[in-house]
Amino acid sequence: MALPFSGRKDGLSLSEALPDRSLFILVAMMSFLAALTLTGATGARTLSTRWAGGAAQLLTIQVSEPDQPLAATSKADKTAQPTRADAVLADLATLPTGTQVHRLTQEELARLLTPWLGDAGKTALPLPAVIEVRLAEGQEAPANLEQTLDAHVPGTVVEHNAEWSTRLRALAQSLLACAALALATVGGIATMITALATKAGLSTRRDIIEILHGLGATDSYIAGRFAWRTGGLALGGGLLGTLLAMAPLLLLFRMAAPFAASTLQAASTTMPDWRTLPDLLPGDMLVGLAALPFVAAFIGWVTTQFMVRVWLRRLP
Amino acid sequence: MIRLTNVSWRRERKASTPVLSNLSFEVPQGGFRWLLGPSGAGKTSLLSLLHVESLPSDGTLCLLDKDVTAHTHRSVLVRLRQRIGMVHQDFRLMPDLSVADNVALPMRLQHRPEDEITDEVQSILKWVGLGDRLGVRASRLSGGEQQRTAIARAIVHRPGLILADEPTNALEEPQAHKLLDMFSELSSMGTTVIVATHNEALVRRLSRPALVLERGRLVQDGA
Repeated sequence: MALPFSGRKDGLSLSEALPDRSLFILVAMMSFLAALTLTGATGARTLSTRWAGGAAQLLTIQVSEPDQPLAATSKADKTAQPTRADAVLADLATLPTGTQVHRLTQEELARLLTPWLGDAGKTALPLPAVIEVRLAEGQEAPANLEQTLDAHVPGTVVEHNAEWSTRLRALAQSLLACAALALATVGGIATMITALATKAGLSTRRDIIEILHGLGATDSYIAGRFAWRTGGLALGGGLLGTLLAMAPLLLLFRMAAPFAASTLQAASTTMPDWRTLPDLLPGDMLVGLAALPFVAAFIGWVTTQFMVRVWLRRLP
Repeated sequence: MIRLTNVSWRRERKASTPVLSNLSFEVPQGGFRWLLGPSGAGKTSLLSLLHVESLPSDGTLCLLDKDVTAHTHRSVLVRLRQRIGMVHQDFRLMPDLSVADNVALPMRLQHRPEDEITDEVQSILKWVGLGDRLGVRASRLSGGEQQRTAIARAIVHRPGLILADEPTNALEEPQAHKLLDMFSELSSMGTTVIVATHNEALVRRLSRPALVLERGRLVQDGA
């Protein structure tokens, strides 16, 4: 026959001893902030990697007097010789397979210069030919390309965009460092909140703990009871905070879509559907967001274990 | 077995006057000792020391064949505490737990099987006359009922040493006599028992050696 046990087993009644509601809400708020920070960091890293990667592979070549024949000496030669732009294009054709070479059309050039020159199509200024060279992934431009082109077609300017790539990488690193600092701060605050809640619980249940200790309860048992409680609350708070963060995150992704991948561009016209979330958000970010509640629970569990065990040291 | 050799205990490490001073005595396994002395003589302090709630400031204390002063590792002390049943003067029950849960606690902390706990708790509570109060919260019990619950909790896990601080204070005479008979029986079965009391009638009823304390010193070892 079962005994009429009260279901409380050891009398600690932690649901009444710990400031449950405050801990839950504060952890939820911390997780909300952490989710936003994590997303910001991931987004910045993704975009900068994409931009930096693109810039590193891109060369811009300017050819002055593009339609002039190359080294024309006589009128007959002028007709036989290729133009300076064609000569450069011919040289660029020798670049490794996979390299994309594109001479900007007059319209593209005009669009590019409009912010500075207004209607560039009607300007009397002599415009150079602009040739974009996109190297294949992992390829580098030949070291002597600039000299070769300049020797063949004097006055040709080759602009390397690698400098931009370095700057973008530095920017990304700074953003990531800021995000890491913010996450560490959030983690620190969560630790302090848990420690304070545990301290409050310990002082409320001091007599009960002393009785349990006298009856032969181990430190692991008492610390474990507290830790599972705070860990559970932190898990719940973490889940709520992360879920609440999803709404502003989707909005942010919608705003960032034009700068990102084509899938996001497609989604930018309408608010993304929850079911398509895994396709929209970067995988590592989804993993990070999914891990947040568990990280919160782990912080709560470890902090409480430490606090209770240190407190128990005052008892023999 | 209990053996104290020149044991002193100070409430605080730097306190000049010890609460217990230079105590030396021995109680064999299965021995029964009364612990007598006026109020403030140090009876409760000595019982706390024997319950490993504090450690001696000086001297050597051996409990249940373990040198407490040498084995200060917490797990050793915890295991030792699990083998001791203590009846406190103020009962120290969990107010929110039922009588059954309070009594079951020492066995639960030792991870005994739940059916064994149920059997033992039921029989011990029946024996102390609380068979019909199993589900009542400890906070709703009378003083006498609380004392009987505390006694049941101290003996339910069959400890090797029972320490009782004024265990009959809130009991009526027949119950007190019954309790005394039980302590005597446990002692004859090999459990060491030390009972602190002011009740002279009780001491006269059960003739056993007495340890008499005065101002923290042992003035009589009836062994």
